[in-house]
Amino acid sequence: MIAISHLTMRLSGGGHQITVLDDITLEIPKKQRVAIVGPSGSGKSTLLGLIAGLDRPTSGSIKLDGAEISTMPESVMARFRREKIGYVFQSFHLIPTLTAVENVAVPLELSGDVTATDRAVDLLRAVGLGDRLDHYPVQLSGGEQQRVAVARAFACRPPILLADEPTGNLDSVTGAAVIDLILNLHRDHGTTLLLVTHEADLAGRMERIIALRDGRVEKDELIG
Amino acid sequence: MGFAVRMAWREMRGAWRHFFYFFSCIAMGVGAVVAIGLFASNVERAVTREARGLLGGDVEVRVSHALSEVGQTVLQSVSSRGVVLSHASELVAMAATVRPQPSGLVTQIVELKAIDINYPLYGSVKVDPSRAVTDLVAPPASLCRAIPESHGPENLPLASALSPVGRGSGEGETCYGAVVQESLLIRMGLSIGDRIKLGQAQFVIAGVLKTEPDRMANMFSLGPRVMISRAGLEAAELVKLGSRVRHRYLLKLPASVPVQPLLYELRGRLAGESARVSSYRDAQPQLKQFLDQLARYLGLVGLTALFVGGIGVAMTVQAFLKGKLQGIAILKTLGAESRTIAATYLLQAIVLAAIGSLAGVALGIGLQTVLPRALAGMLETDLLDQVEFSSTLSTASLPPILKGIGLGLLTTLLFTLWPILEVRKIRPVMVMRRAFLASEANPAKLSEGRRIGLAAHWPRLDLPKLLTAAVIVAGLAGLAMWQAGSWKIGLLFLAGLLAGVSGLLLGATGLIRLLKLLPVPRIVSLRHAVGNLSRPGSQVAGIVTAIGIGVMVIATVSLIERSLVQQIGEKRPADAPTFFFIDIQPDQAQGFARLIHSRTGEPAPQLTPLVRSRLHSVNGQRVKTEEDGEKERETKDEQRRSWYFTREYVLTFLETLPKDNVVTRGAWWTRGQAFPAPLVSVEEEAAKHLGLDIGSTVTFEIQGATITAQVSSIRKVEWGNFSTNFYMVLSPGALEGAPFTYVATVRVPPQDEVSLQQAVVAAFPNVTAINIGEVLDSFARILDRLSLAIRAVALFCVGAASLVMVTALAATRYRRLYEAVVLKALGATRGLIARSFAVEYALMGTVAGVIGIVLASSLSWAALRYVFDLSWSLQAGLLLIELLAAMLLTLAIGFLSTYRLLGMRPLAVLRQE
Repeated sequence: MIAISHLTMRLSGGGHQITVLDDITLEIPKKQRVAIVGPSGSGKSTLLGLIAGLDRPTSGSIKLDGAEISTMPESVMARFRREKIGYVFQSFHLIPTLTAVENVAVPLELSGDVTATDRAVDLLRAVGLGDRLDHYPVQLSGGEQQRVAVARAFACRPPILLADEPTGNLDSVTGAAVIDLILNLHRDHGTTLLLVTHEADLAGRMERIIALRDGRVEKDELIG
Repeated sequence: MGFAVRMAWREMRGAWRHFFYFFSCIAMGVGAVVAIGLFASNVERAVTREARGLLGGDVEVRVSHALSEVGQTVLQSVSSRGVVLSHASELVAMAATVRPQPSGLVTQIVELKAIDINYPLYGSVKVDPSRAVTDLVAPPASLCRAIPESHGPENLPLASALSPVGRGSGEGETCYGAVVQESLLIRMGLSIGDRIKLGQAQFVIAGVLKTEPDRMANMFSLGPRVMISRAGLEAAELVKLGSRVRHRYLLKLPASVPVQPLLYELRGRLAGESARVSSYRDAQPQLKQFLDQLARYLGLVGLTALFVGGIGVAMTVQAFLKGKLQGIAILKTLGAESRTIAATYLLQAIVLAAIGSLAGVALGIGLQTVLPRALAGMLETDLLDQVEFSSTLSTASLPPILKGIGLGLLTTLLFTLWPILEVRKIRPVMVMRRAFLASEANPAKLSEGRRIGLAAHWPRLDLPKLLTAAVIVAGLAGLAMWQAGSWKIGLLFLAGLLAGVSGLLLGATGLIRLLKLLPVPRIVSLRHAVGNLSRPGSQVAGIVTAIGIGVMVIATVSLIERSLVQQIGEKRPADAPTFFFIDIQPDQAQGFARLIHSRTGEPAPQLTPLVRSRLHSVNGQRVKTEEDGEKERETKDEQRRSWYFTREYVLTFLETLPKDNVVTRGAWWTRGQAFPAPLVSVEEEAAKHLGLDIGSTVTFEIQGATITAQVSSIRKVEWGNFSTNFYMVLSPGALEGAPFTYVATVRVPPQDEVSLQQAVVAAFPNVTAINIGEVLDSFARILDRLSLAIRAVALFCVGAASLVMVTALAATRYRRLYEAVVLKALGATRGLIARSFAVEYALMGTVAGVIGIVLASSLSWAALRYVFDLSWSLQAGLLLIELLAAMLLTLAIGFLSTYRLLGMRPLAVLRQE
């Protein structure tokens, strides 16, 4: 499903270069649940961002479903992203000017789905927010916002779901509920799941743990 | 597209308040353009509707002498076809009081018009008391009897001997009446029922003239109108051989007689009369052209206001998008393409522009009901009343309204395309800037994403951007040409505007550079002001450009006006004459010279003989005098050329070369030279346009007779020297036997002006005294009114500029607020913060003002040099005032938009952080 080879990411700024990811090669099969762990600054989020095509690597290749994304033109990448990838951010990143249901509908609308709003309503009901449809992000609690974000990420039934510390901004009870939600959806939809976290408990609920340190793969083990 | 529409709506629904400045900026400019456009279209409509009234008939035959018997017969013959004829004579004359006022005899130059019983053929003359004007100029005997007997004969023996007025015996004696403009009553201290003397006759003032349909809408007039009967004119004995008078024979055609054939017939049959025959259709272009040009120039000033507003729009969009960075990045992570997002924001811009334009149209409609009254003051005659102008909207109002909306939309598009294109640069990774970029420390990348809008540097070969730039420039040019109605003026306007904007942008960046180079000031408030100005993303450039353009427009107009007034008025040569006395008859010449000599003590004034003529043929080729009404003359050059061929030439003969004349080719005749055939010396420009060279022959037509002269020299003439100057000077003896009159220039000290004029009018009632000082004063008044009108529209530019500044400050409001409270938390006083704001605004205003007046000086220099052919002089006082005004304006606007920040409590603000 995801094939990464010799992936390197260097950023230049303030006169010197920083190597964020250093020659990473990984293979992630379909439907696998993977945790990416590592200390702050180890390159976890960068790796996830590159897989989502949010930025271009300095060198190396990333293939999703056999398609090379590192050289894809921006507009092609945008379309590819909305079909293949769902993304959940640590800080939710809902669009503040849109209501909950509109936020969820955005990717569906972008794909030209005429039933976008109905589907979005269904999705929100499924994550338990049937009574919060027309609320704006500021009117929702953190947990509720993240559940909207999860619904949004799953809206187009993407084969790959990327979650970047989805519980990082939530208290433990709320966080657990969001994780349950993600895992349920993963199970129901057969999604490949990559989850960045630094919580050992959460990592333990995955099938595989990839540990990064200083931009390199320090450990890669299958568990459970 | 569907997504873009939905997103655009969702984004706008909660943000109306943020867009207030956006549509205010557009509304301001569109309002100005629409108001001017509506006014112009209403005037044109009224003028077209009243075309016959403005000419005074369907056809006009105009001659500078009474028609010959043959000519009279021609007109009589057409009247048998049901054509109604009216004869009006117009001339300049002197009016005098009959009863001496405390200050002595009051004399006043007037524009006299003698009418017959059929006047007016079209339109209506409004008079107070409201009776037919023809009745008032021939008042009933009762009114004449009412005049007391006591005055007259003793005081004015000559007049009483010749005039039947005031005898009051009621034995069927003629009594003359006059209808006058109110200004005459005011200037001469008279009221209805009083009498005035014109030439050799006395007239009872029977009414006040309110509107006169066919008084040509001149900006310029020598004096108030006085209307009398033809019999009255005859009795006044003002029209003598060679007098300066305009005879207008007006024809009203019955429906059965078409205009055009009759026009051609009359042109043919009256060819020997030096007559100008025109139809009501031909008479319009002049007036229309004047109003058209005025509307166009005012329109360009309006367009400038719109462009200044465009800067505000660009800034609003820039600030708005800055706040949307995160949202845009999120949309991109969700798979939205740049194109879709750009479309979303472009749609919003269009919707807002449409709302702004509609508000502008409403503003324009409101203004155009006020504007006519303001502009009407520019014309000496009340043109608007004359044509029964109304501000009501009609289908003809649609084009200017649609044009205003079009201009609003296009301007918005032009000014928002660039910032919106920057959307493409936002990368989806921006969404993780806190988690990703911030932690992994890459300020360079972050700022790249942040750099949105006009401040962004030119990317290498960014094709869409280059295309957009080209579209923007082409669009601006198109808009300017559309408004100017001429590609040449449009391009000139755009070139001036672009030069102005680049000058201002350079100045603004120069200021920032300079501030960075200077050592950090020690005074805290100064340090903060400088910091605010030179920080990255400061709004200095936009504010300075907007305010600077406003200053530039207003200062240019006032500089040109001031220079013109100075050059023609104050810089008059010391030996410039006080009076031109015209229409001195040959038999009055000696007596006139004696009178002047005895009154002034100076040697007798030089009398210059004048003969009125038209060109008959040039080098044997007959000059076509009839105007081709249907064919529009395309270029200005052609118009000018035709003017040289068809104008009236005042001829003279002189022994010596007039003062300030320089012979450039050929030679002036020598003393004692014999002239077997007449020679003529031609003015340079006239020679060029008429195609004359040494040896060419010119034939003049003087009241039916012709005289041919050979060109012996070409002269350059200093027209501005306040002497009698001539296009054509003939050799001595050439005009023997022609009906000439004399003109004299006389110079007296100011305190003797009135008494000299009184003496001349008393002794020679037919001689008209034109006071140069008064003429120049009225010219200055016209300039003043014109300049005022343009400056009034220019105020829209300043209004738009102020809005831009408010917009810019609103965009930085949060940053300022945050800074202010942090400073306060650190112990700064409210006064210190206020001072630092003041220094910042004043600096911006000063830079904008300085560059604005420098630009205005160069623009006015160019205009004076190339358009008016005058030299430029530094107007230090005026420039200083403009500069000060610019500074105070920025200070005032700055404070009005930010004073509330000063009172904020730190804790309340910081807690929100």
